[in-house]
Amino acid sequence: MQNAASSQRSPTTGLLLGLVITLAAVLAYASYITVQLAGLRKLQSEMVDRNRKDSLQLLRIQNDLNSVALAMRDMLDTTEPYPLTAWTAQFDRIHQDLDSGLKLEENLAGASRTPDQRRYLTQSVAQFWDAVNRMFGLAQGGKDAEAREQIRLSLQARQQALSTAVSRLLVENNEGEQQAAVRIAHIYDGVQRQLYLFLAATLIAIVLTSLYLIRSNRQIFARLAELSEQRSELAQKLISTQESTLRHISRELHDEFGQVLTAIGSMLGRAGKHIPEGALLREDLKEVQEIAQSTLNNIRTLSQALHPVLLEEAGLESTLDWYIATVGRQTGLTLHYEKTGQPFPVETNAGVHVYRVLQEALNNVSRHSGARDAWIRLKYASDSLELEVEDHGTGFAAEELPRGIGLVAMRERAELIGGSLAISPRPQGGTKVRLQIPRGKVDANGA
Amino acid sequence: MNRREFLFTALGTGLDTATTPPWILGNPSSPLGFRFTDVTNAAGIQFQHNSGAYGGKLLPETLGSGCAFLDYDSDGWQDILLVNGMDWPAHKRQRSTLRLYRNNRNGTFKDVTRSAGLDVEMYGMGVAIGDYNNDGFPDIFVSCVGQSRLFRNTGKGTFIDVTRASGLYGRQGLSTSALWFDYDRDGLLDLFVCNYVRWSPEHDVFCSLDGSHKSYCTPEAYRGDTCWLFRNRGDGTFEDVTPTSGIFDSSSKSLGVAMFDYDQDGWPDLLVANDTQPNKLYRNLRNGKFKDVAVEAGLAFSTEGKARAGMGVDVGDFDNSGRPGVAITNFDNEMIGLYRANATGVFDDVSIPSGVGAPSRNTLGFGCLFLDVDLDGALDLAVANGHIDETVRNIRGNVGYAQPPQLFLNLGNGKFRDVAGEAGGGFKKSRVGRGLAYGDFDRDGDLDILMTTNNGPASLFRNDHLAGNHSIRFHLRGTKSNRDAIGATVRIFANGQSQSRVVRGGSSYLSQSELPLTFGLGKRDKIDRVVIEWPSGRTEEYKDLGAGKTYKLLETKGIQEQPGF
Repeated sequence: MQNAASSQRSPTTGLLLGLVITLAAVLAYASYITVQLAGLRKLQSEMVDRNRKDSLQLLRIQNDLNSVALAMRDMLDTTEPYPLTAWTAQFDRIHQDLDSGLKLEENLAGASRTPDQRRYLTQSVAQFWDAVNRMFGLAQGGKDAEAREQIRLSLQARQQALSTAVSRLLVENNEGEQQAAVRIAHIYDGVQRQLYLFLAATLIAIVLTSLYLIRSNRQIFARLAELSEQRSELAQKLISTQESTLRHISRELHDEFGQVLTAIGSMLGRAGKHIPEGALLREDLKEVQEIAQSTLNNIRTLSQALHPVLLEEAGLESTLDWYIATVGRQTGLTLHYEKTGQPFPVETNAGVHVYRVLQEALNNVSRHSGARDAWIRLKYASDSLELEVEDHGTGFAAEELPRGIGLVAMRERAELIGGSLAISPRPQGGTKVRLQIPRGKVDANGA
Repeated sequence: MNRREFLFTALGTGLDTATTPPWILGNPSSPLGFRFTDVTNAAGIQFQHNSGAYGGKLLPETLGSGCAFLDYDSDGWQDILLVNGMDWPAHKRQRSTLRLYRNNRNGTFKDVTRSAGLDVEMYGMGVAIGDYNNDGFPDIFVSCVGQSRLFRNTGKGTFIDVTRASGLYGRQGLSTSALWFDYDRDGLLDLFVCNYVRWSPEHDVFCSLDGSHKSYCTPEAYRGDTCWLFRNRGDGTFEDVTPTSGIFDSSSKSLGVAMFDYDQDGWPDLLVANDTQPNKLYRNLRNGKFKDVAVEAGLAFSTEGKARAGMGVDVGDFDNSGRPGVAITNFDNEMIGLYRANATGVFDDVSIPSGVGAPSRNTLGFGCLFLDVDLDGALDLAVANGHIDETVRNIRGNVGYAQPPQLFLNLGNGKFRDVAGEAGGGFKKSRVGRGLAYGDFDRDGDLDILMTTNNGPASLFRNDHLAGNHSIRFHLRGTKSNRDAIGATVRIFANGQSQSRVVRGGSSYLSQSELPLTFGLGKRDKIDRVVIEWPSGRTEEYKDLGAGKTYKLLETKGIQEQPGF
């Protein structure tokens, strides 16, 4: 019993457990990724982006210093007809841009620059412009030759020193970017590794859950099939028992009570002949004899209804002829009976079930359809036997298939003889019951 | 196919041309409201530019030359001047000079170069026309390789070389575009001259694409050179104020210049297009000095922060906002820069959203002009294209040496559309285009186009108007201001809409357009008023002027209506 109980256990708990584990894994991984991304963003914004912006400013400064170098070269070129003071505006523009670039660079460099580096750059630039101003002072005083000497001796060397310092800072920035790139690559590798792990774990969880689900489904379906088989077996046994009982009662009624009543009738007939004509007793005996005959007829009818012996004696076709006529009389329904095809003898056991299906179908027409007409079609096809019962009564909606013991029994009977039963509403109203049995299952000749 | 095209097709197939109404013949199937006709030969212009190229691949050979519309005899009809180069001294093969063509007032021109005294050999590059002595006759400055020249107009149909007398002699350079403007507003035109790089035949640099054969060098191979500013003393001489005015910049490699009141203070500023160097916007500080504010104004670099190869430049109120926009032609793969001032006064490059950028990606632009070619009241943009390297097709398959010019029609919604192929007259034909100027040489109220090519012929395209659009023209003459009124701003108002134009020299590339101003009015036949802001600071206003005429505006003296254009 314990094994049976465990095999019938619902998979919901297992599935919920799997879901919880999967969600927990997703949450854990999402948290991990968020932390890594935050680290990456911080690294990029604080190091790489800042470094890049700083490098751009350093390049701007370097460009200005190059412009200064070119301007000084031009100033030393005596082919230019203008005095050195002509370069004042050009130097002013470069000075302005250089100051702007240095200011921005200082803000961007932040902690990556040592105080000594800052001091050196600031002081060197200040000294350079101081020397430039002295040079232009000489030029304004008409001492172009001395000013040019200043350029050669001092300014060009200072410019080169500044340019070297800026180049060094650019190299440092480049190294910093390379280090940052390594760290970023490390983070990416970690995330990639974790991603693979997460994917593997998720895949395993999905596979396990799927296997569990498949196993559970198989057990459920097996159990359902078993139950269905048991139910079908039970129903068939019930039907068989019912038929057997009815046949027994029918035979008892027919054989025992029939013979007794027949004997009583004969005896009453003979006794009446000994009583003079016109005597009251003779009249009474005759009346009793008629009652006995009437009872005998009723018993025979009941016997036929319970189990048509006719089936065994005359076959399905004759039984249906008799039954349809009887039902028509008893219920007042107008029954339109149509036979088609080449008749073949129907095996008695199968014939009982066909008869019962017809019996139930007509019973339903009489009790539920409200129709006064019904159409019965018996078709002997080359490969099957088909029985249709159709009425034009109230019917039922397609999605509301009537449920009841009678209908269940009809299906069971159909299945019992290897056939199929379809109950469908007619579009114009009414119901059609269609029983179809392969000929091999019903043909008494084994066709 | 639109309705008109359908009509013409139907008429062309169904009717004999002899039976076609004249208005159909004069109204071709172009959907534009105008059509160009190449009238170069018919007008008698026989010009061939001589770059002097002999195989030595000397840098200036790729650059020239310019052209101008000028009314040298002051008869009210635009004449034509075409600048020419010459053979290099050691490789003389022919004699070539600039050409001056007098307008015969019947659609043809007469070559008067010799009689005008301009039959002088020089390696000319650009031209600037201005009446620097205020005598009523325009004088000619020709920028050259080596010594540039100033020719004074005698008023009798001749010119005298006054280079020495004017004090301009002795400045040697590879001079390119130049313009006359009155930067100190003293009523005398001053002269600004662009210089490209420090170059001389003796110090030419060897450059090669294949390692063995000499090719033309890019400007990076040469040192830059400063532009020059010469102040007009008023006595026929000029003072070189380059070193004291803040213009001096030995790093510039300048090719184009346009006058431009950037800060709308009434004092002319200058926009200089530099090749591979940041463009310069020299803001006039009103004290004889200039300050470069191109970076702050957003005009120094491309939107990517790159110094492009600026060639030609023009300025015009193309969105009728009252604030001029800027066009700068650049190298191929750099696109034309089309700039528009935003609310803060900083210029945004709108070349891509305007539709000018993509079609100019594979062209190398030189001359560029804002002109209302279809007289619809919105300035259009004409561009002369052509590469400097004959073998460029081998290197860049989609870029040719000869390139078709472009004519970007202003659609009025911030968009432009290149209609060069629809304009007719062979305008779309590929050329090695350089100079570009406009002028109404036939006085029919619309703007005709003059285009020069490198080592090739010049072309004159007559603009024939078909759509019935009206125009109004103004010819300004300063009395307190410089006589040419260069720097004057004219605003017209009609039906609640306004347009503005500035009388300007220079612009484009090595070239100068006519000085009279033309406003397209569409279907309107009058304007409500015109406001003139003279360079002297004086403002004048006139009301209710009919279209279809040229008006002479004399500073302080009123307006004279001229029948027809």
